Amino acid sequence: MLRTALAGLRAHRLRLLLTSLAIMLGVGFIAGTFVLNDTVQAGFAQRVTADAGKVGVAVLPAKAEGTIPREVLERVRALPGVTDAQGLIRASAPVLGKDGKAAGNLPTTALSIVRGPLDRTDVVSGTGPGTDDGAAVLDENTAKAQGFRIGDTITVLDPGQGRHSFRLVGLIDTGVDQMLAYTGAVGFTPAVAQRMTGAKGFAEIDVAGTVTKQAVAAATGGSYKVKTGAELADDLARAAGVETKMFTLGLLMFGVVAMMVAALVIYNTFNILVAQRTREMALLRCIGATRGQVFGSIVLESAAVGLLASVLGLLIGYGLAALTLTVLAAFDAPLPTDAGVSLTPVTIGIGLAVGLAVTVCAALLPARSATRVPPIAALRSQPEERTFRAGLVRAGFAALFLVAGLGTTGAGVFVLEPGEASLFVVMAGGALTFLAVLILGPVLVRPLSAVVGWVPRRLFGVPGRLAVDNSGRNPRRAATTTVALTIGVTLMTLITVVTASTRLTMTVKLDEQFPVDYLLAGQERDSVIPRSVAEELRGRPELASVAQIREVEATVAGKRADVGTYSGGIEPYVTAGSMKAFGAGQVALDDVTAERLGARLGDTVTMRTRHAGTVALKVVALLDGNQSSLPPVTVAEQAFESYFGAVPDSRVMVTIADGVPPERARAVVDAAAAPYPTVQVSSSTEVRGQFDETLDMMLMIITGLLGLAILISLLGIANTLSLSVHERTRESALLRALGLTRPQLRRMLSVEALILGLIGALVGVVLGVVFGWAAMRAMVDGALFTAPVAQIVLFVVLSGVAGVLAAVLPARRAARASIVGSLATG
Amino acid sequence: MTLIETRRQAPPAVVATDLTKVYGQGDAEVHALRAVNVSFATGAFTAIMGPSGSGKSTLMHCLAGLDTATSGTVHIGDVELTGLSDRQLTLLRRERIGFIFQAFNLLPTLTAEQNIRLPLDIAARQADEVLFDRVIETVGLRDRLAHRPTELSGGQQQRVAVARALISKPQVIFADEPTGNLDSRSGAEVLSFLRASVRELGQTIVMVTHDPVAASYADRVVFLRDGELVTELAAPTPQSVLDTLVRLEA
Repeated sequence: MLRTALAGLRAHRLRLLLTSLAIMLGVGFIAGTFVLNDTVQAGFAQRVTADAGKVGVAVLPAKAEGTIPREVLERVRALPGVTDAQGLIRASAPVLGKDGKAAGNLPTTALSIVRGPLDRTDVVSGTGPGTDDGAAVLDENTAKAQGFRIGDTITVLDPGQGRHSFRLVGLIDTGVDQMLAYTGAVGFTPAVAQRMTGAKGFAEIDVAGTVTKQAVAAATGGSYKVKTGAELADDLARAAGVETKMFTLGLLMFGVVAMMVAALVIYNTFNILVAQRTREMALLRCIGATRGQVFGSIVLESAAVGLLASVLGLLIGYGLAALTLTVLAAFDAPLPTDAGVSLTPVTIGIGLAVGLAVTVCAALLPARSATRVPPIAALRSQPEERTFRAGLVRAGFAALFLVAGLGTTGAGVFVLEPGEASLFVVMAGGALTFLAVLILGPVLVRPLSAVVGWVPRRLFGVPGRLAVDNSGRNPRRAATTTVALTIGVTLMTLITVVTASTRLTMTVKLDEQFPVDYLLAGQERDSVIPRSVAEELRGRPELASVAQIREVEATVAGKRADVGTYSGGIEPYVTAGSMKAFGAGQVALDDVTAERLGARLGDTVTMRTRHAGTVALKVVALLDGNQSSLPPVTVAEQAFESYFGAVPDSRVMVTIADGVPPERARAVVDAAAAPYPTVQVSSSTEVRGQFDETLDMMLMIITGLLGLAILISLLGIANTLSLSVHERTRESALLRALGLTRPQLRRMLSVEALILGLIGALVGVVLGVVFGWAAMRAMVDGALFTAPVAQIVLFVVLSGVAGVLAAVLPARRAARASIVGSLATG
Repeated sequence: MTLIETRRQAPPAVVATDLTKVYGQGDAEVHALRAVNVSFATGAFTAIMGPSGSGKSTLMHCLAGLDTATSGTVHIGDVELTGLSDRQLTLLRRERIGFIFQAFNLLPTLTAEQNIRLPLDIAARQADEVLFDRVIETVGLRDRLAHRPTELSGGQQQRVAVARALISKPQVIFADEPTGNLDSRSGAEVLSFLRASVRELGQTIVMVTHDPVAASYADRVVFLRDGELVTELAAPTPQSVLDTLVRLEA
């Protein structure tokens, strides 16, 4: 029996290849994801291990934002066995770009570059600052983005906004530090770093020598974290790897979708193969093969296919990962791409197991139906066509899943508060509904093909009519084929709908929230804009309104909160109470903050202030946090001044006067902000543009990833058609004998594929739109809904075209077959 | 005692008693077999003949345990088929019955030799190499063993099928129109092999055919009409078979 199964496989190499392609791609994707993850993690580990070799013991602040005072360093230096101990400074110091504005959206992080054995800086070109207080180094990316080269002079702001010039002597690699990758890094000698950042202490103390962790811990007291070099390396690698893990998980989800589609394709292929080999199975049964043996031979065949496909898939995955790493390296992604790409035993194990399990499981049902073939079927000259009846059980299950699915979705949308929980509920509902569609598929195919086939039936004459009938002829097979495509199209439509709706929702919200043309703000949300800027702008005729917001951090009702005030016309979006006659002793809270502080309308909360001690404030209004642009805790302007003094503005919002061209208004605003390098000007169109770009990017990536699932489902259509063609060889020959021309025969098969593609796409579009709407409702309160009709129509058209493309080869083969030969062989 | 005499005294290989087969129900009821009583002697070559729709194929299916009779019993040797489970029937086929079909006899993916050995492989039994050699010699396939069915002529394919049926030494071989798809020369060859296997190997063969020439190779011909056994002929010739058929059709 083993030999029979294997010989069957050998004899049908092409069929085997086509079948395995689906699994191959799925396994390739999953394996590739793992290889990518392994390589990046190995890269992180490599780098931090090299660093950690230099450090014997490291002292870190207990809290992420905390620092270590200098005397701790002195205590550590005095310990026996310490050959060297260095404090590292790490704090903001904005580097100015060539336009005189602070570089990047976040202030650059300044680092102290120590000398001696504890120097962990990776200088990639030039030199470190050494002892030269007039020298600085920059990270490669910032230098590249701002166009700085070694030998250039760079300007850096100190905490008092004073400008200092440095000679750029070298470029450094920030390595695995994701934080530095975002902010950029500038390095100075330790003394300069201290001066430029005004840091009150060290971010880390590195110790070299034979001293033990325990000794250092004893010397520093209990308020700091003390780690060995190896522990530090592990932590750094883990922190760096967290994002990679999330990314890997995200990719794996697409891998799972691809494998699901592949499973459907395999299921269908084996079903058809079994149907076609009915007589072969019957012959085996006649000459004494038991049901178990027939079952075993199919399962064995699927195992062989699965194993081969998985092995090839692993190779594809390896190639994919290598390619991705090359591309990432070319784009200077902040990831280590230089570690050797390798297939680890775990990856190989997972790849093989997933591929094998999916293939064999998908083949189990077909194998079972193979055992149902009666031996007498070997004596029939024409294999019976299996008829399909919609059974009560099927209807019952479908109804059950449909009710459960829609019910769950409805609960997620209408009952639960929008948020993560309700999104998960909607997702579960979606999965249940999809199962219902899967079960109902065979019932839906015939009516759907009648609807979809209405046009082809009239347009293509007899071939069209035959094609429409053929597409509904084996509803079970057609349903499985199209469902594979439906998965891809559903997800694609869903993502499109969600993206478009998000865009619409956000645009409307931005217009409400950002009813201004220009926003002036610092790099961080701190108050850095001198009030003179707003005052100067207020005097300009080009501008219609100028509003200011000031914020400080203070303790309110025992908790830290952003307290602020505003001046100028701002719509406060009051949900309860009133801000009319807003004055001293009163406060407005946004709803989230009110909940956090446990304060309700009419309550009195206490606040510790800088100048007026602790004051009691009455909550007179609650604000809609999603809409309001006011600080979370808002007090009246005069009162704020008396509590916290003359704080500069944190944000200035400007609208253009009617009839003034935007360029002129922009020039006015830019001129006012020019003297203050850290004050950045953004316009609402810019913000929207950035937002749109992010959305478009996301949509593109997701579409690309889902493309894999769609590709696999198209393989499924091609496979189903070519097997159907094979099955209907005799019938096709009969049609040809009766006068159907070759082009007509080809057209017939193309139309059949078109109909299958369209059915799959239509079901997918309906599910995608409905669940896109549900997901939006579940995610965002008051979300607006829009379905991008053009894009969705495009999906349907593309699915149809892809179906026709999938039919090209099978149709060619059918048309080429000789009439006499085909009629003779049964 | 000669070999022939020994066989004459052996119990029959297959016995059918009051075999009835009804398809459909009510108005659509069709009696394919009406209380057929027939037995097939061990070591004999018997042909079943009859006009189309006479029930000859149904009879064979019921005898071979491929189809279940509505009433009546079938014995293969000392085993009664009625009431056997699917698994028991399968094992019975494996141990005691060989098949030769009109078409699609061979697995296209296996070589001739693999096809011949298939029943033994399925049963995980060792081949009797002496018998294998003798069978190959008898059917004259020695130089074709490594070929796939598509590389063989129709006659050669059918000879492979005959060899496959012989290799497991079944109690009885059922042949369903074994020459139906062959030209007359290949057909004659295959029939000669069948007859030779009866004479030389002592094989029992039951063959369904509608060709009087094919039937004339048998030791005995039984005639069916409308599901009933009507007559039989010993030591048939093509002419005597044809005459009987013409009489039946009239």
